[in-house]
Amino acid sequence: MRLQLIDDTTMNDERNNPKNIGAALTAASCALLGTAVAAKAEAQELHRWFFDTALLYYGESDDRVQDLSATIGATRDFGDERSLGLTLTADTLTGASASGAIALDRPQTFTSPSGNAFYTTAAGEVPLDDTFLDTRFALNVNWSQPLGRLYNVSGGVGFSTEYDYTHLGVNLGLSRDFDKRNTTLSVGLAYSQDDIDPVGGAPLPLSQMLDVGIQSNKLSTDSKDVIDLLFGVTQVLGRSTVMRVNYSYSQSSGYLNDPYKILSVVDPVTGDTITRVPTVGLSGPDGVYLYESRPDSRAKQSLFSEVKHSFAGPVLHVSYRFMTDDWSIDSHTLETRFRWPVGSSNFIEPQLRFYTQSEAEFYRSSLVSGRALPEFASADFRLGQFDATTIGIKFGHRTAGGGEWSTRLEYYQQSGDVPEEQIIGNQSGREQYPDLSAVILQFAYRFKLQ
Amino acid sequence: MSAQRTALTNPSVASAPRLTRAAEHWIGSFVAMACPCEVLIEECTSEPTALAIVHSVARCAWSIEQRYSRYRNDNIIHRINTANGAPTEVDDESANLLDFAARLTDLSEGAFDVTSGVLRKVWIFDGGDRIPTADQIDGLRNLIGWDKVVWRRPVLKMKPQMQIDLGGIGKEYAVDRAVEIANTLVPGVSCLINFGGDIAVRTPRSDGKPWVVGIESIERPNEPYRSVALRSGAIATSGDSRRFLLKDGKRYSHVLDARTGRPVPDAPHSVTVQANTCIEAGTFSTLALLHGIEAEPFLRDQGVRFWLQ
Repeated sequence: MRLQLIDDTTMNDERNNPKNIGAALTAASCALLGTAVAAKAEAQELHRWFFDTALLYYGESDDRVQDLSATIGATRDFGDERSLGLTLTADTLTGASASGAIALDRPQTFTSPSGNAFYTTAAGEVPLDDTFLDTRFALNVNWSQPLGRLYNVSGGVGFSTEYDYTHLGVNLGLSRDFDKRNTTLSVGLAYSQDDIDPVGGAPLPLSQMLDVGIQSNKLSTDSKDVIDLLFGVTQVLGRSTVMRVNYSYSQSSGYLNDPYKILSVVDPVTGDTITRVPTVGLSGPDGVYLYESRPDSRAKQSLFSEVKHSFAGPVLHVSYRFMTDDWSIDSHTLETRFRWPVGSSNFIEPQLRFYTQSEAEFYRSSLVSGRALPEFASADFRLGQFDATTIGIKFGHRTAGGGEWSTRLEYYQQSGDVPEEQIIGNQSGREQYPDLSAVILQFAYRFKLQ
Repeated sequence: MSAQRTALTNPSVASAPRLTRAAEHWIGSFVAMACPCEVLIEECTSEPTALAIVHSVARCAWSIEQRYSRYRNDNIIHRINTANGAPTEVDDESANLLDFAARLTDLSEGAFDVTSGVLRKVWIFDGGDRIPTADQIDGLRNLIGWDKVVWRRPVLKMKPQMQIDLGGIGKEYAVDRAVEIANTLVPGVSCLINFGGDIAVRTPRSDGKPWVVGIESIERPNEPYRSVALRSGAIATSGDSRRFLLKDGKRYSHVLDARTGRPVPDAPHSVTVQANTCIEAGTFSTLALLHGIEAEPFLRDQGVRFWLQ
């Protein structure tokens, strides 16, 4: 069921619309009922609470990152298109993630991020930092309402906290309808301030990983801020097709490093990590590893377009996103979903997504000993070149009470490459960029209360 | 033609209206036009007054049913339909209804027509799969069309075997009449009239609260899909939730286009419209169904609030 609310302006426009029979019908009704003045219709939708809850599991292969997340969203409808939204999220992240160091034919020892322990990676394995454990809570509050007769305005604040990270954000949005709501233009502005308080402190960029217990290269906290701007057009193309195009610009500045990512410093001929001996009496790394260094600003632009078409029942959804930034990462995302009704209260929705990105200009799988240090370097696989494919299927069921539950299962497969010219000596025989696969399972339940 | 309106195959048995007390209002209930009817009266009213309102409203509904049902042989519709080509003089109220119906035929460019009732001889909307043949439909085409009727108020003359059916507007008309009767009886007291889902309120409640009206879900009958707070005005629904034919996976809506003698393709299952009077709301929803796939743009052009299912 669709609800149409027509604002006063639209109604004024209707008076000149030749297809509008209102005046003729009112005259005919008055003649029939013999009443000159009928009661003016005054009605509104009742206040309602809408709830959107979800439980999501994300699990990477080989005991890497596992995430369990629970979300409760509540929307209170105050009528006349005014609504308040609240979203509360809690998630727990465990498992190991790649540290950025390259694999070697010998075991490697590292100081853990806290600086007060060490861990060892077996020969031939891409080093993972397995001390990864975090719990995050997030709360978002949003208000939306019409402004005047043509505009809709929304504003919100968001807050999230986890062990080493605090985020505070505000956002504002404004949209205007044209052409009897067939066209909507929107602009959005968001600002966020994030404070980073890494376990064991934020390391100085390109400083060396030191022995356990020595913290001289670590600062306490750092921060970044992000400004996002968004311009969007939504256009109704006929009765069953809607198209949306968004352009967004995002400017981050401040501390943009991942404080736990490192690079191996390697021999220019063999490509093996330069060995190091911990200070007598201390444990510590047995190779030379430097903490990564990223620029302190990043400007991203993205263009997103989406078409939804309804085939009198089934709904096809196709979207494409292009993103480019001044770190020279370009990415393309192509996604399609097809919602197929099964009976009157169920649907099945297969989904397919392709993603590809180029590497950042300062992406290095390793640093070469004896050469001048670059200003910026990172071996974080997420800044490297990779492709990813996601296939998924969602099953949904509408309940008797007007709610809907759904189950979504997705399989994610990622494979990346290190640029040929960065592979030195023995490295060519080893795994450079490990493939990653993940399973995503989500249960969601939506319902409403009066 | 509303979703809640069942075919008037069995004239209602007029049993006495009942009055019960709810938390904040009186509920009068009775059956008329083959559907459950309700009168909600705000609580400031005494029980005898509330009972008097309910009786008056029920009498109004039964009287309109008696005068305009096409299943009786003692009313003006029967006289018109059995005139066999002779002119019939009609009373003022019937003339007003015929004028209104003629206007609707105009406004719908012929899609709505009170003479199209003869199509029910071949289109039997019982949820089954009996689709009439083109010959069967075409055989009736010369009996359909307001342009074949000579209407010089107060005299109506049509070809033998042509028939008039005011079922398409009768219930909404009864709701508006009932609201007026209640308003005349107890001016200033808010009464909500609900005849099988077609609803009107003239006077807002004195406690400032709205009446809460549920719009029935088409997929889950007897469950409100939306709740609307109604202070004054009217809401009417047209649809085919229980009256359709199903053949080879194709659903034939009971809403017939008088010009083609066939169901309108791709019509929404249910259209609910809010307007100042019930007859206007009902007309908008019926004409929307007759617009088929264009129902939504049609309603947008009207600038009314509506709900499609």
